[in-house]
Amino acid sequence: MPDISTEVAGLKLENPLLLASGILDENGYTMKRILKEGAAGVVTKSIGMEERKGYRPPVIAEVDGGLLNAVGLPNPGIANFGEEMKIALSEGKPVIGSIFASSVQDFANLARKMEEYGASAVELNLSCPHVEGFGTEVGSDAALVEEIVNEIKRKIQIPLFAKLSPNVSSMIEIAMAAEKADAYVVINTVKGMAIDIHARKPVLSHGAGGLSGKAIKAVGVKYVYELKKETGKAIIGVGGIEDGFDALEYIMAGASAVQIGTALYKHGRGIFNTVNAQISDFMEREKFGHISEIVGVALP
Amino acid sequence: MMINSTVAEKKDETPTVSTITFDWDCEVRPGQFIMVWVPGVGEVPMSVSSTDGTKAITVKEYGPTTQALRRLKAGDRIFFRGPYGNSFTIVDGDILLVGGGSGMASLRPLIRKGAHAVVAARNEKELLFASEFGEGKVYRVTDDGSAGVKGTPVDQLKTMDLEKFNMVYVCGPERMLKSVMDHFKGRRVKAEFSLERIMKCGIGICDSCSIDGFQLCRDGPVFMLQELQTMKEFGVSKLTESGKRVDV
Repeated sequence: MPDISTEVAGLKLENPLLLASGILDENGYTMKRILKEGAAGVVTKSIGMEERKGYRPPVIAEVDGGLLNAVGLPNPGIANFGEEMKIALSEGKPVIGSIFASSVQDFANLARKMEEYGASAVELNLSCPHVEGFGTEVGSDAALVEEIVNEIKRKIQIPLFAKLSPNVSSMIEIAMAAEKADAYVVINTVKGMAIDIHARKPVLSHGAGGLSGKAIKAVGVKYVYELKKETGKAIIGVGGIEDGFDALEYIMAGASAVQIGTALYKHGRGIFNTVNAQISDFMEREKFGHISEIVGVALP
Repeated sequence: MMINSTVAEKKDETPTVSTITFDWDCEVRPGQFIMVWVPGVGEVPMSVSSTDGTKAITVKEYGPTTQALRRLKAGDRIFFRGPYGNSFTIVDGDILLVGGGSGMASLRPLIRKGAHAVVAARNEKELLFASEFGEGKVYRVTDDGSAGVKGTPVDQLKTMDLEKFNMVYVCGPERMLKSVMDHFKGRRVKAEFSLERIMKCGIGICDSCSIDGFQLCRDGPVFMLQELQTMKEFGVSKLTESGKRVDV
């Protein structure tokens, strides 16, 4: 039996699959169930300083090859998130706290609070493409990213992951600014829009949104490959993974672990066990003993 | 994908509830729902209240989108996606429907000759679909006593032999569902409950409607009595639009 356990910046995972931020991760009981049903860990919905309702529906639209979403960072505010963390952590597996803010100070406070709640790592949402003042607006400012990452690194002991956006002119530049982070998470959604021709209006109430799913897989694989080659740092791959073969592509490009999100709408929560079995079968057939033997094999 | 059709008819059922019928060539099972979109206003989950042939939704006004839906008239376009969710189990023999307020909308496709019902509402004028049941088969319950029993559905259920029904179908506000479930405790009742929670995506990813890790929009909205009895969140706590945990 091949060993599918892995490790990202010291964080041990029983298999390479994490639940991506933004999908089924605002209710502690849901995260607990996802962990029970085969995910090695979960990343929470992005949490900010204040409670936000998010945008009014429609917040998602099905498009060719995936989904568009503009949910609008709904979250209960960090002060109200402790109970959900406690419920999720009761499964005894890693829970990674995703945070978003518009200032260095807020980011640092949120990271500290996540550590206090027992988070196994912190993921910085530097890339939500659809809320003004947060996400990409922060994540495309290299100097600000550097300040945020360096300040958080001074404040917390648990690993820090920087989730990067493809919606910038140079991801490498932003990655370099975030080089003190322990790992990169690549990629967040790609900006997009869908218009209903009968309504003559964008479907999402916000207009534009972020595209996820199979349609962006090739984009994600490219960025993982490039970042691994340039930086050598640990990477978590995300974007369009629907089966074990998609996951293996990311791993061969240099990802030590991957995240699954959008595929849950097609395949349900059972996808984690299915993908793990497919990875294991492939490894057996191709005579790989351990995931680490596959990480980055496609690199020159 | 967003679907569109034309409103065939709009009928006012009560002072706050209307039924909108439209053509849609699609198999929809009793208990399933659609996400109905009013461009420029919003999108809401709606039980399909008529599933054979012409489809319908029965809308209670509670916000801007439902208000806009009630203003639709024959000939207007209606936008929606679905059908989503699981459905009620159809059984032979005697059945009882227990509906509170607009909860009767999701039970309506189950109405058939000989079906029994407990129909509850705030007052007589808000009783929904009570007239669609046969003589002597329907028990009315109102908060203010303006018709039937004054009180809650449980006050009526207490007087009935529930074990004789091959299935009891229940839909309404979560607190009502909880009180009905508690009443069934220790009785050999076969029952299915259709739940309501805040719903945004309708396709099992946003986590707004989740209960004990199950997504109402995908694993539900219909749950068996035995499933509900094991849930920690049912009737206790839920998340608001922001994801903040509050008491039910």
